[in-house]
Amino acid sequence: MSRHQIEREFPALLNSGYGITSPAEKDYNCIAWAAGDATAWWEPDPQYICFWPANIPRVYTLEAFVKAFETLGFAQCQDARCEDGFEKVTIYVSSDGIPTHAARQLSSGMWTSKLGNSEDIEHRSLEVLEGSIYGAVAIVLKRPTDT
Amino acid sequence: MTYTCRNEAIIMSTSFYTDISISTTALGEESGKLSRAYEAFIRDYFVPISREPLFPQMKFYRLKSQWEAETAFLPSLSNIAMHPAYQQIIGMGRVVIPLILREMKKEEGHWFWALKSITGEDPVPPEHRGRIKAMTEDWLLWGKEQGYIS
Repeated sequence: MSRHQIEREFPALLNSGYGITSPAEKDYNCIAWAAGDATAWWEPDPQYICFWPANIPRVYTLEAFVKAFETLGFAQCQDARCEDGFEKVTIYVSSDGIPTHAARQLSSGMWTSKLGNSEDIEHRSLEVLEGSIYGAVAIVLKRPTDT
Repeated sequence: MTYTCRNEAIIMSTSFYTDISISTTALGEESGKLSRAYEAFIRDYFVPISREPLFPQMKFYRLKSQWEAETAFLPSLSNIAMHPAYQQIIGMGRVVIPLILREMKKEEGHWFWALKSITGEDPVPPEHRGRIKAMTEDWLLWGKEQGYIS
């Protein structure tokens, strides 16, 4: 997708100082990317097509998504401020509470997101991706960076 | 008789132009856009939507284009697979299996949901779940074994 198409779908990115950091890839999705895995598509789909951590319910609930990240050592935290020694991820949910997106914080304080089948981007705030497609941030998780 | 001849001529044209789908590998973004627009133009010119029932491959490519354009940012495979154009492709049944497999040979895509739904089969072992390249290879091998592709 072009920068123009990205900005059309996520207008808050315009003038926010974001950057495209990868070509469009279909090998992984936003959840995998937030989990640090660029080799698989993570999703609790009912067809058992996608990867989902063992023993975590295959349902589209925030609780199940949090449990998936807990398998990687993440735990809920209070806010999205950058903290030395910790890596943070955040999960977005739609207005009906279904998880839609995840972003991972970089050591610089910027966030990295995989946009659907499209590119990875780095963005300064979590709010720039909020809206009709990804809903709003629901929870922030963190883990020590040496995990 | 005249109708048959015309129909055959159209079939020749259609198969010719559907088979020339242009790879956008190593093309710049603008070149890729132009190539896709050219493909769409050629298809629309030779087979208008009113004649699509005669040519399932044309319907498939039109739906595929629509599906890809409208799902680029969708967050999940289930959202992507529930898109109306994708559901119409599934509804076309087994006739699209070789078309899907040919597309998978050219370019990775989320065709697994459609293939599972249409065939009722799943050649992907659990350890390959979510790994697009491995799943693609599993389905292509299945397609060869079943005689859908060579």
